[in-house]
Amino acid sequence: MLKAIRSWFQTEGRDKSKASARSRLSFVLVQDRTGLNNDELASFKKEMIEVIERYFVIDESGFDIDYKRHSDTTTLVINSPIVVRRQDMPTMSGVGSEAKRKSSRAVSE
Amino acid sequence: MTLNNGSKKSGGKIYVVTSGKGGVGKTTTTASLGAALALRGQRTLVVDADIGLRNLDVILGLENRIVFNLVDVAKGHCKPAQAIIKSKKSNNLFLLPASQTDDKDVVSEEEVKSVLDQYRREFHYILVDSPAGIEQGFKNACSGADSALVVTTPEVSAIRDADRVIGLLAAKGIEPHLIINRIDAEMVRKGDMLSVKDVQEILGIDLIGVVERDDQIIVAANYGEPVVYNPKSKAGIAYQNIAGRLCGEMIPIEDVLSDTLWGRLGKRLGIG
Repeated sequence: MLKAIRSWFQTEGRDKSKASARSRLSFVLVQDRTGLNNDELASFKKEMIEVIERYFVIDESGFDIDYKRHSDTTTLVINSPIVVRRQDMPTMSGVGSEAKRKSSRAVSE
Repeated sequence: MTLNNGSKKSGGKIYVVTSGKGGVGKTTTTASLGAALALRGQRTLVVDADIGLRNLDVILGLENRIVFNLVDVAKGHCKPAQAIIKSKKSNNLFLLPASQTDDKDVVSEEEVKSVLDQYRREFHYILVDSPAGIEQGFKNACSGADSALVVTTPEVSAIRDADRVIGLLAAKGIEPHLIINRIDAEMVRKGDMLSVKDVQEILGIDLIGVVERDDQIIVAANYGEPVVYNPKSKAGIAYQNIAGRLCGEMIPIEDVLSDTLWGRLGKRLGIG
């Protein structure tokens, strides 16, 4: 009951048309800020996933690329939920060896 | 008169008011902030850089007093002092109108910069109303600016264009400050409008003001008197606060939601 009243008074956070505006904006802004078109962005995403998947089993549905602006820098943020480390690690040298076992990884521009 | 407001160059500080998208309130913002700064005793010049589509003159109710304009000053057809028009309401507020008959390309960035530099000594603040778009007119308006006021509304298209403009300003080394215009507290509360926090997070630049949607803006424009002269207008108060922040006063950003009926009730009951 209190929860219902609280939600009635709640000032923000209800998912209505604003949620749609936010997600559409973040999509279009990544395109605008990177200058990559739809196809390029899709292939960038695909290749990034391929590299990460050599080392980790990931949940592709949660994979997300964002391009964030701060006061003086712009950062490419790649968020990849990792399920588990791969047992059959490749023996290729150099590629992605520094990838940390964290759920998000920022590659600064 | 001493001009000391932190500007490195001698004289006043030049702000370009810009947005990318048209119709988000650049001209109203320029006129209202100019009037608000003048009310604070700051000698202020508002410049209409929208050559060919001037409107700042009508918002200020000065359309019937124009003799010379920005292009005339740039081309040396008149002295800088001859082209500016004093506001009817304030001895501190002046307008440099745009030419209505010329093309945007008639002046260069260097010419606009040189015009603005001629006025810089005489004023504490110069606000340049940029045309919509990111082409020559926008570049001209930015050419003499120290900082920018980026105006947006809480809509996808306006925010997208503001983001583009912020990128271009960064490339020019002009520091942007954000003004979120026409926010509707009730729609935000219902989840049908991006909130101040949303817009701020998305654009990631300093927020200098929030202006609520206010019918008095249209009434003020009908009369040709900036809305800041209406003490009951929420938008007028918001512009006064932005002017205060420009002058370095620590005025907190308004919490628009606390002002809705349910926000007030919730606060009173301690569950908002």
